[in-house]
Amino acid sequence: MKTLLLIACLLPLSLPSQTGNGVPRGADGKPDFTGVWQAASNRRGTWEEANGTGIGGFVAGPREPAPYQPWAAKKVLESFNRRGIDDPVAACLPPGVPRVHTVGLFPMQIVQTPQTIVMLYEYLNAFRTIAINAKHPDVLEPSFMGDSVGHWESDTFVVDITGFNDKTWLTATGTFHSEALHVTERYTRTDPDTIQYEATMDDPKVLTKPWIFRTTIMRRDGTRLREYVCEENNVDRARYEELLKDESVFRRK
Amino acid sequence: MKLWRMVAAGAVLALPVWAHHSFGAEYDVNKPITLTGVITKIEWTNPHIHFYLDVKDKDGKVVNWKLEGFPPNVLYRTGWKREGTIKPGDTVTITGWQARDGGNWGHSRQVTFADGKKLFSGPPAGTGDGGNRPAVDAP
Repeated sequence: MKTLLLIACLLPLSLPSQTGNGVPRGADGKPDFTGVWQAASNRRGTWEEANGTGIGGFVAGPREPAPYQPWAAKKVLESFNRRGIDDPVAACLPPGVPRVHTVGLFPMQIVQTPQTIVMLYEYLNAFRTIAINAKHPDVLEPSFMGDSVGHWESDTFVVDITGFNDKTWLTATGTFHSEALHVTERYTRTDPDTIQYEATMDDPKVLTKPWIFRTTIMRRDGTRLREYVCEENNVDRARYEELLKDESVFRRK
Repeated sequence: MKLWRMVAAGAVLALPVWAHHSFGAEYDVNKPITLTGVITKIEWTNPHIHFYLDVKDKDGKVVNWKLEGFPPNVLYRTGWKREGTIKPGDTVTITGWQARDGGNWGHSRQVTFADGKKLFSGPPAGTGDGGNRPAVDAP
């Protein structure tokens, strides 16, 4: 009886800001993504609960090959065979999108207002500001994280990204792209813990058709983002220069 | 939920990126190492920490090893503290993988402390190596 009373007391507080699946909503009635999250994971709970025995939780499943044009596929394969020694993030450069969501090692934070959604990534101190119902600027300087604008399709937040430079990888080792890259992201909060994330990558200069990347992004209450200054003591460039003197040391046979 | 799983099974899924660089270019998963020795120095810096360890080789000669670990932020969330968890003079056992060039350096996976406590200090084998297969089929 006491429990029932307690529930009855709590209900009026929770109903106006939630729907049936328990997803909180903002003043505009849209799902509220505000909070700290972990991409490339499928485990619920706090950071420690989800990652305590190591880091991760994401089980890599079957995947379709990336639809690169034959000449471009050769380039991707070459990078794989050279074990990603040409990885831009090894030089501490921003990871690009959607690659930033393949990283399970670091948290991300989403701050949402009816006008803007801001995504802050601990990984390489990257960030994105996503203006809602806005247009891309007429003139875009090519950039690592691109220019993002968003709109709502029912309860899904859809982001259009363009204005990329050609210095990032799409997801896995060697998955290069051109400045013609166009990414469409879909964020759907299916329950309080989970965002279903889908990124469709289109780049007619290197791909034969759009390529889709999906992951879940999991809520991590209690985690705070910290500074991650990759340039502080990055020794990899010097090591790579040494290794590149004899590629047979690291090249896949 | 079921529908999502079905959709996901046919699409590209995340192969987590564990670090900011290619593990596989520098380290060899086929060269696992277990080293017991005395910590001589710790570089608690981004993008990755390094610790140095005096290890006696089979002839009794002391060799200083350099071992890479997770970034400080990751260690912090894995139970490490900058001050106190590990310090010069501590005797520890470290598992990991040796560098491809066969030198006295490598990437750590786990540290076992004198009291038997174990903490992860680096990723599992093979991650950051580009995965087991490329993102494309061989053209």
